Amino acid sequence: MEINIIAFGQIVDLTGSEAWKISGIKNTDELMRKLAEQFPSLPKINFIIAVNKNIIFKNTELNPNDTVALLPPYSGG
Amino acid sequence: MKKVIVDGAISPAFIGESIAKHSSKKDIGAHSIFLGQVRNDSINDKKVKAIDYTSYLEMAEEKFHEIREDAFKKYSLTCMHIYHSIGKVNAGEISLFVFTSSIHRKDAIKACEEIVEKIKKEVPVWGKEIFEDESSQWKINS
Repeated sequence: MEINIIAFGQIVDLTGSEAWKISGIKNTDELMRKLAEQFPSLPKINFIIAVNKNIIFKNTELNPNDTVALLPPYSGG
Repeated sequence: MKKVIVDGAISPAFIGESIAKHSSKKDIGAHSIFLGQVRNDSINDKKVKAIDYTSYLEMAEEKFHEIREDAFKKYSLTCMHIYHSIGKVNAGEISLFVFTSSIHRKDAIKACEEIVEKIKKEVPVWGKEIFEDESSQWKINS
């Protein structure tokens, strides 16, 4: 199963892309481990994650075509 | 859903027209307006010349909608308008326009302030400060 990852702000500088797909991931904890392997400096950045636009604070199961957003601190206005 | 996100700076003429449009709503006794302007901060001797805003648009539109609904529930407002820029806004230009109207002043004033604070805290928008030498850094909200 494939899930969609989207990144914003300074995280894009690190990942080099704004959107990509990843497969074989069952939950958000597993996804964070995989992303930390891929991008070793990512865990040093302060960010929260949203699954299908809902911010989550604990490990969350992922379903095919879910969208996980990596959101650094907001700085609008 | 009401459109909140606008491309580029919000023009003073647009703000003026928005105010003028309310002259037909004669039960309004008070308007409160907040305008966020891009500041030419100096960081390490370099001056900010613009902010380039990006957003998680779908989520931002939902958040703006939520903030709007909450304010209508909490305060007695006759109307409310919110506009936030996306893309490049030069120093001295307006990037946020919040406009609340009510019968008596307190509702408009309190709602306007609360909406601005919530926008800063809850809406997924990121500003990248562009310096005069074209270098840049991600903005941090205070």
